[in-house]
Parts: sequence; structure tokens; C-alpha cells
Amino acid sequence: MKKGFQIHKHSWLKYLTLLTNSHNMFVPVNNNNIIEYEEYSPELNNLSYFAAKPVTPLKAFLLPIKENVVIEREIHNKNIILGVPACDLKALELLDEIYLDPDHTDTVYNFNRENTILIGSDCYEIQEHCHCVSYNINPWPEVNFDLSLSAINDDFIIFSNSEKGEKLVNEMILNFQLTEAGLDILKKLQEKRNSVKKMLEKKNTRLPDYQHTGALIKKSENDKWEEYSKNCVSCGACAVICPTCTCFLLVDRPDFEKVRQTDACQYLGFERIAAGEDPLKKKYMRFRNRYMCKYVWRPEKYKSIACTGCGRCIDTCIGNINKNEIFIQMASL
Amino acid sequence: MQGNHNIYKPIKATVDRVIKESPMIKSFVLIPEKEFFFKTGEFIELTINGYGEAPFTPSSSPLETKKIEVTVMKAGYVTEKIHALKRGDVVGIRGPYGRGYPLDKFYGKEVVILGGGCGFAPIRSLMYNLIAEKEKFKKVTLCYGAKTPDECIYKPFVDELKKIEKFEVLRSVDHADETWEEKEGVVTVLLDDINVNIAESVAVVCGPPVMMKFGTLKLLELGYPEEKIYLSMEKNMSCGLGKCGHCMMGKYYVCKDGPVFTYDEIKDQPDIWI
Ligand SMILES: Cc1cc2nc3c(=O)[nH]c(=O)nc-3n(C[C@H](O)[C@H](O)[C@H](O)COP(=O)(O)OP(=O)(O)OC[C@H]3O[C@@H](n4cnc5c(N)ncnc54)[C@H](O)[C@@H]3O)c2cc1C
Ligand code: SF4
Ligand code: SF4
Ligand code: FES
Repeated sequence: MKKGFQIHKHSWLKYLTLLTNSHNMFVPVNNNNIIEYEEYSPELNNLSYFAAKPVTPLKAFLLPIKENVVIEREIHNKNIILGVPACDLKALELLDEIYLDPDHTDTVYNFNRENTILIGSDCYEIQEHCHCVSYNINPWPEVNFDLSLSAINDDFIIFSNSEKGEKLVNEMILNFQLTEAGLDILKKLQEKRNSVKKMLEKKNTRLPDYQHTGALIKKSENDKWEEYSKNCVSCGACAVICPTCTCFLLVDRPDFEKVRQTDACQYLGFERIAAGEDPLKKKYMRFRNRYMCKYVWRPEKYKSIACTGCGRCIDTCIGNINKNEIFIQMASL
Repeated sequence: MQGNHNIYKPIKATVDRVIKESPMIKSFVLIPEKEFFFKTGEFIELTINGYGEAPFTPSSSPLETKKIEVTVMKAGYVTEKIHALKRGDVVGIRGPYGRGYPLDKFYGKEVVILGGGCGFAPIRSLMYNLIAEKEKFKKVTLCYGAKTPDECIYKPFVDELKKIEKFEVLRSVDHADETWEEKEGVVTVLLDDINVNIAESVAVVCGPPVMMKFGTLKLLELGYPEEKIYLSMEKNMSCGLGKCGHCMMGKYYVCKDGPVFTYDEIKDQPDIWI
């Protein structure tokens, strides 16, 4: 394990308050067991760093539902997003591949990305549909974070993973008592992390290997897709809430401005062309499209995975559709 | 296209001339606020201010950089507004985007082109290129089809083309009238009349989806290899930049990986003829 720092929980909270002088900070809070980001204030008494996972995926901060992508950005305080789970950090890889594509860099996304500090955190509690481990993702920050947060009792352990993170650590050193985390506590941390991982593995043993999901999806026949999508109402919630679904529509505004607005292949007309032809005219076609996209086409096109096992699409589906149950069924046929 | 360039922001272009090509098709000569470079087969996104945007392949010569021409069929929401444009109106353009025709792969070959309806737009641009470099090609045969004689576009251009050595133009209409002296039938029937050495030839197809499908099938039947058939694909588009996902055709973004593909590249992707 790399070098970590130890800080007492109370000092950490003081540091957060200090940070809000120069940053907009969003933290996960727990309201009736629903975890959601809120703007930080020292009065918050339901902070919840380690209970995976906020309802809103990280992408919402970088690709807001609606954003004018033509007007000049104003320099504002940097955003800090605290308590980002490992699955959402991993999801950034695909977003970066798409939006920071060197052929056509989305300067607005890039701006948001550069103006955001990501503080990841370990998951010590898991939710019903969490299955990151099925996609080879550990339930603690390993990639794409600036700073990460772990806890052993009342001590927080901090790892830095970028220049932005180093800067914060140095600031903490100046203002608070920060010690290098000793082997002892790091060992305890690893044990704690591993036990969460085991919990996740046990919960998801029935899932087919993610490397083979694409093949199962590809060979599924139309009548099967009709059956799987029977309860789907094309609300698009699964796509909107997914940390790796990033489709959008450009909407025109006066002065040649454009608003990049979240869109989803689940909506009728997403692929309709002017002649009226629509490759996704039936509900089962749109439903299948999302699976083909994530597990067949994106893997052929990009290096990054297009599902991180966060389980949000399952939590959110109004038709109670569980993609994992579909995969289990596919594998059994 | 790196650095601080905003990929979504159009540049302005002024409508210089409107040409009525057929009852449903008009061409628009635009003067961009700065020189505009594109390769034939690449496309632009044209914005009607505050209203909407749609993709079009310029129909003008890529060698002309001060003016750009688009040929637009009235088909719906945005194209109806475009048809109402008058000289002096200002529109926005973004681009050029995508992968156009690989001209170097056509050098030394006989080029057979199959076009239908508004699919003549990118083909005319390609023709300007072929004319400019005509010593590099053995022969160019254009087979063009429309529904009725009235709907045949670019009449003056076709007359000019017929006079150029090495260029041959064959036309057909689905429904002929008494004025029509050329062939009657769907455009693929023209392929029966062409005199071409397939081994030394490449084929280009652009038109409405049905025509693309039957044109390709006919070319395959004639013995064209899959990798020598170049198709210009039409999909729903928004960004034009390989991001918004609207134009996905299996693993490809038609906007970025295409719109020009060989049949070989896309034959295993879903819904290519829709
Ligand atoms: C690469 C490429 C090159 C092309 N080149 C040419 C060309 O040279 N000439 C030519 O005539 N055509 C060309 N086309 C086709 C042309 O782009 C379409 O005819 C045009 O987009 C139709 O737009 P429309 O709004 O008029 O049609 P509509 O049928 O109204 O709309 C087309 C699509 O936009 C969506 N849409 C409609 N209204 C809205 C709205 N308010 N908000 C959001 N979405 C909406 C629809 O769902 C539909 O999917 C080309 C297409 C492609 C992909
Ligand atoms: S959330 Fe469920 S009902 Fe809504 S579009 Fe997705 S699968 Fe269909
Ligand atoms: S598909 Fe579902 S489980 Fe996978 S990343 Fe998206 S929301 Fe999470
Ligand atoms: S048009 Fe947006 S990805 Fe192709």
C-alpha cells in the first residue's frame, strides 16, 4: 500500500469547513437510508462517507442534465466532490475517453473536470444491488481520484493520487496534526477493505463472468428481448442514472448557443431519421440497444468498461427489471 | 482541433444564393465568415439560429473554400426552416466532420457511382474532385435515379458532365413522362447497361436507404468485392463528433468513423439499411 496520512475525524471536519472558504463542496448525506450529495455545511449531522453509494452518479457534476456549451465559462471556486465511490471513479474512464477524445475535445467537460477535486472514499456498507467486484472493481478508490478517504474507528486515512491531492495534503499538514499512517493501521485497513470485498463477492456469486456477458447478450433472440423488456416503460431512468451512459442532444438557443442536454436511447425517436425510418422503433429494440451498447459495442470500441456494477439501473427501474437476473437467465439457457 | 476551440460553436455563414433544384430540393450557396475547408464526403452541421441543426454533406467543390453549397431536401422540422431561407439570411455551420471518400484509393480505377434523389449532393462534390484530377482515373460512370423527371436535380451540371471526356452519365426515373428520353425504372437497372471492368473498378453508392440496400446487393451480384463498395450512410445525428450517441450503428459512430464506409466494414453491424 502506498504512503497514507492519518488525521483525527474532528480535525478532518475542521479542515472541511476551512475548505468551504475557497471551494464549493458536495458531501454525501444519509436521509432515511437514502444517500445523496448535498452542499457541505458544518451543521450537517448526517454525513455519510462510507455507505455506498449516492443516488446521483458522479457524471452529474461533470455533464449536468442541461449545460450551455457555447457561452464562455466563468472562473468560479473549484468544486470538491467528497465521498465518490470506486464504481463512479472507474466510470470516469469511459467519460474521459469520449469527452476528452483528442480529435474533438469537449472543452466544457474538460473545464468541469479540471475544476473538480475528487475525494473518493471506501465502501464499508454495501447496498442491495452493488456488484462492482463482478466487473473487477474493488470497493475502494484505486483510480481517478485526487484524494481518498478511509477510516479505522475515529481515525481517517488519506491517500493522495494527484497533484491536486498533494496540494490538499500539504495544506492539511500546515494546519492540522497529520501523521504518516503506520503499518499497523494500514494492515487493519486492508483487512477491513477485504472483508467488504468478500461480502460483495458472496452476494454476487450467481452472476456470469462479465467478460462473457457480451456474448450472451449478442446471441439472445428477439422474442427473449420482448420478454425481458415486458415491464419496461421506456422512462429512460436506467440510462439517466447510469454513471457511464452519456448520450445527449444539442438543443439550440438564440445567438447560436447550444445546450447539451441528457438524452437516452430508451426514448422513442432517438435514432429516427428524417424519412421516418427508425432502427429502434419498438420498445424491445431500445431496451436491447442499451445492453448491446454497454456489453458489446463499447467494449469493441473503447478501452474502458461501460458498466461498473453500481446497480443504480436496478435500484431505479420502475418496472423492477434487474439486469443481473436477465444475465443469470441468459446464462442458464 | 485541439486546445480551446469550442467544438459546439458554429461559425456564421451568409446565404448568397438559393437555387430551386426540384419541388422538394433546394441548394443554398453560403459564404462562411472565414474560409472553410472540407474533403469530399465529409459533412457539416447547419444551424438555424435558435431553432435546430441538421447534418448535410456539401455539394460544392472542396477546392472552393470561400463558398460552400448545400443541397437540402425538405424532410421535416429543420429542413423546412432551411427551405424558407433567403439571400442575406445568416446561418451557423460547424465542421467539417467525419471521414469522406478516400480518393487515393480510387486512383487508376474506373469509378462507378450510383446515386438516388438527394444522394446526388455528396456525389456532385465528389465529381468536382474527380473532374479536377481526371487524368488519375480511367473512367467515371454516374448512374443517377429519381422518382420523376421533375425530381432530377442538377440539370445544368449533368449537361456539363456529359461533355467531359471519360465521364459518362446514365439516368433513370421510376415514372417517366413524355419528355423523358432516358431510362425508366429503379436506378439499379442502369447497372445493367454499364460497360465496366469490375476488377479495375470501385463503386460509390449514395441515396435513400432502400436504394443503398438494393444498389449494394446488385453491385455484389455483379461481382464487386465488399471492400470496393463505398457507402455514404445516413443516421440520426446531433453532435457530429462521436459523443452524443445518436448515430450509433453497432460499434461505429457514423458521424466520426463514417459517414463513408466500405460495405465490408459495416456488413456485420445492425440496421445498416435503416
Ligand atoms: C452525414 C449526413 C449527411 C446528410 N446530407 C444531406 C444532404 O446533403 N442533403 C439532404 O437533404 N439531407 C442530408 N442528410 C439528411 C438530413 O440531415 C436530414 O434530412 C435532416 O436531418 C432532417 O431534419 P429535419 O429536422 O428536417 O427532419 P425531422 O424528421 O423533423 O427530424 C429529423 C430528426 O431530428 C429529430 N428532431 C426533429 N425535431 C426535433 C426537435 N425539435 N428536437 C430534437 N430532435 C428533433 C427527429 O427525432 C429526427 O430524428 C444527411 C444526413 C447525414 C447523417
Ligand atoms: S428504468 Fe426500467 S422501465 Fe425505465 S427505461 Fe430503463 S428498463 Fe425501462
Ligand atoms: S449499467 Fe447499471 S450497474 Fe452498470 S454502471 Fe450503469 S447503472 Fe451501474
Ligand atoms: S452524431 Fe453524435 S455521436 Fe455521432
